[in-house]
Amino acid sequence: MTKVVILNRNDEICASVIKHTGAEHRRLANKVMEEALEQAGLSFDEISYVIATGYGRITVPFADRQITELTCHARGVCHYVPSVRLAIDVGGQDAKGLKMNCGKLLDFVMSDKCAAGTGRFLELIAASLDLKLDDLGKLSLKSTSKASISSTCTVFARQEVVTRISEGVPLEDILAGIHDAIATRVARMVERLKIEPDVVFTGGVAKNIGVVKSLETKLGCKVMVPEEPLLSGAIGAALLGKEITLKALAQGKPVQRGRRSLSESTFFQ
Amino acid sequence: MAWFMGIDIGSGTSKGVITKDGKLEVYHILASGVNYRMASLKLREELLAKAGLGVEDIERTVTTGHGAGVILFSNRHVADMQCCARGIKCIFPSVRMVIDVQGQSSQVIRVDEKGHVTGFAVSEACASGSGCFIEVIANVLQVKLEDIGPLSLRAKNPVTFTTGCAVFGESEAISRVAEGIPKEDILAGVHKALAGKISTLIDRIGLKKPCAISGGGGLNVGLIKRVEELGVELLIPPQPQIVDALGAALIAGEQDF
Repeated sequence: MTKVVILNRNDEICASVIKHTGAEHRRLANKVMEEALEQAGLSFDEISYVIATGYGRITVPFADRQITELTCHARGVCHYVPSVRLAIDVGGQDAKGLKMNCGKLLDFVMSDKCAAGTGRFLELIAASLDLKLDDLGKLSLKSTSKASISSTCTVFARQEVVTRISEGVPLEDILAGIHDAIATRVARMVERLKIEPDVVFTGGVAKNIGVVKSLETKLGCKVMVPEEPLLSGAIGAALLGKEITLKALAQGKPVQRGRRSLSESTFFQ
Repeated sequence: MAWFMGIDIGSGTSKGVITKDGKLEVYHILASGVNYRMASLKLREELLAKAGLGVEDIERTVTTGHGAGVILFSNRHVADMQCCARGIKCIFPSVRMVIDVQGQSSQVIRVDEKGHVTGFAVSEACASGSGCFIEVIANVLQVKLEDIGPLSLRAKNPVTFTTGCAVFGESEAISRVAEGIPKEDILAGVHKALAGKISTLIDRIGLKKPCAISGGGGLNVGLIKRVEELGVELLIPPQPQIVDALGAALIAGEQDF
């Protein structure tokens, strides 16, 4: 997913866009940007500073600066919950755990080697069950006895799901099993960081109430989810952009900008 | 005369063998589907029909494989590794090592002169260490299973997969296609990746020669080539898929059963 957030000087969101990145749209961050500008009723020149983050941050030619997603996520999560000690972000490609204190990033763990324990796992299961990703969470809450999914590997888990269906296991029980599997994996990953509340959960997977509930059970504490868990990285990036701008202004220096061409990325050509 | 049956229910295909006096009489292969019990019954029916025998003619049946737990007509369940060792020994009497590339794992097994297992290494519970990885990639490339190997041999510049995960590998393959890289180069890349994993399994227990390949992977000329490129010469059974089932039937027929 590609997300754009435009913040005003009071840190209020003037525009936010969330779009599928896809193979083609990797080059088209400019289109998403244009959409956000239109939503905010602003022209590109009115934007003080643009920060790109995430896996595809180098494919944003109009950004003034690129900052890693860890820094941006940390900043964004802190904005929602200043007392956060553990931020968990589970997206489509990877899962991250950020240990924080008073807004500072102290340590982190990451799992990006394998689709298990990431959003990809849920996407594939949803597709093979012919369900919408958004429906998985609510459906799984109806479960009375969760199915056991013994495979860690996403590919094998998908086969296991098919076997469970043929055994007549109800869909909600299978989903509960799937959510339990992903929560187990995420909980195991963040264990090393010594879990302390407050725990904040972001990324696409945080929209799944089934995973949130499972994770609460595994971690033994409340797991907070921001209203729009997908945007924390982009919001963090915008906040960092504001800080950079304010710092430059305070020092009486000009704001260092990039080349600012709102065009397609040519990186892949 | 004594007939024995070996049934191997794999995650993808189910294989059955009837032996007579310690020799292969008939074999049959079918898709396992989702109901392993049904697959086993159908397999037995087909085997008996092929051999012109009735259920009562079979002295004993040994079962093995991923889905063997649910078979009702088994006299004993034996680990696939043992069956593989026994089966390959029967086909290649001099063999000392066998690489069994299955749908859900790869195993490297050291075999002694009697066909017993003396050491082994198994891939992690991960699709990228099994034949499944190749199937997943072939599926996104829309290449038929039987065409995978021959097509991959035409590769000029095999791609390097940067991920060890079959699911992420799938996305990577799609990206490569979008970049205009030929299918054969992508297929060769996935074969190389799997051959690399197999090679680390071999290193773990030490290569013993002669070495054979079995399982569905033994049907894939592309995989065989990439494994041999890593310095492991392979003996290839005429029917690599039925090695475990053959071993199971042979174990069923052993004196000290």
